[in-house]
Amino acid sequence: MADEKKPKKGGILSVFKDIVYGMSSHEMTRHAVRSRASMEHLFILITMGDLLGVPILPPYYSLRLLPYVTPQIGSWKRRMLRERDITDVLG
Amino acid sequence: MSLRAVFESQPERRYIMFGGKGGLGKTTLSATCAFWLASQGKRVLLFSVDPQASLSDIFQKDIFGKGAVPIMQNLWAQEVDADRRIKEYQEEIRKKILDMYGFDRVPEEIDNYIAAASAEPAMEESAIFDAVVDIVVQGDYDYYIYDLVPLGHALYYLSMAKVYDEWINKITKLREDMRQYDQVAATMRREETMEEDKILGELIYIKERINASSRILTDKRQTAFFFVLVPEEMIILDTKKAAELFAKFDVPLSGYVVNRVLPPDLGAGNIPEYLRNRITMQQRYMKDIQSAFGARVLAYVPEMERDITGLPMIERLANRLFEEGPKA
Repeated sequence: MADEKKPKKGGILSVFKDIVYGMSSHEMTRHAVRSRASMEHLFILITMGDLLGVPILPPYYSLRLLPYVTPQIGSWKRRMLRERDITDVLG
Repeated sequence: MSLRAVFESQPERRYIMFGGKGGLGKTTLSATCAFWLASQGKRVLLFSVDPQASLSDIFQKDIFGKGAVPIMQNLWAQEVDADRRIKEYQEEIRKKILDMYGFDRVPEEIDNYIAAASAEPAMEESAIFDAVVDIVVQGDYDYYIYDLVPLGHALYYLSMAKVYDEWINKITKLREDMRQYDQVAATMRREETMEEDKILGELIYIKERINASSRILTDKRQTAFFFVLVPEEMIILDTKKAAELFAKFDVPLSGYVVNRVLPPDLGAGNIPEYLRNRITMQQRYMKDIQSAFGARVLAYVPEMERDITGLPMIERLANRLFEEGPKA
């Protein structure tokens, strides 16, 4: 019986923690993560610019970084090449 | 001052470069200098980063892409095979991607990028740049003698070091900022562990390599740069211009070597009009050289009766260059 109570107690505590987190810092975290994602895209642009035909970093060294950004390449290219309209500014 | 005095007065010199337009005898002078230093008991590596390198020709031995090949006691020569280096490097990158993500094959888009990047002319330049860093950081020789590519390339090569350096500094800064945002998000979510940023590690590695080579190229204590010229109008003008450009990049210019000087007693005999005119013309340009570069000319190298290839001929030239003072 005592064993069953403990996780429940922890559950309440963690729900409480989540609520506090949601009220106080979720928005800030979201902002930090978003800024981080934009910077990631900027980073890929300046190191892997060749992929879009904009060579910036000497190619020998950009290849060195390629393995680390391989998973992000797809989303980055979509973001860089998609058409933009008024909703981008509003959003 | 003579060429010998320059070397003897600067025992801390380790990196020696000969620059000048194509075909003026840079390889000959690099080889001669390497030969002399080796015969003085110094361990010398003479290397070429030129895709059309001619060290194999001058030593009459095929050394292309074979690493540092022993030529004689204390002397090694190396010609970098940039193409092969690029191919091996591409394979290394592909393998790394497969290993990191457990793919069976490299995604097509990424593979195309690797192929396209390697076809660029800049790829060869930057691969050569990297190869040079590899050679000079091994640090096993008393002297490293660069058989430099023609002037335009050399300038590009020097400016590249400077641009790379500033560029990498900026990217590294961005990466560090990104890491701070990561840290903010992690702290707010009460996540404790944060895996280390491998990209930042790579950037720091690249930066250190680039810094190492630009430090060498502009180190007045350890590096000497010599210009090779011949007594001809265009060459004298180009050398003056190049010397100014090199000064802008803080390259320590140590002196000039004048090659292909016709023996002065040649004009004494009964010679054809054509040859006499050439000699008179050269004497005029010799005066120009003396007024432009004066005491900074360390050696006048006579036009030999045959090509400088093979060790006996190099030895003859080394004796002429290092055992006698500069005389016109």
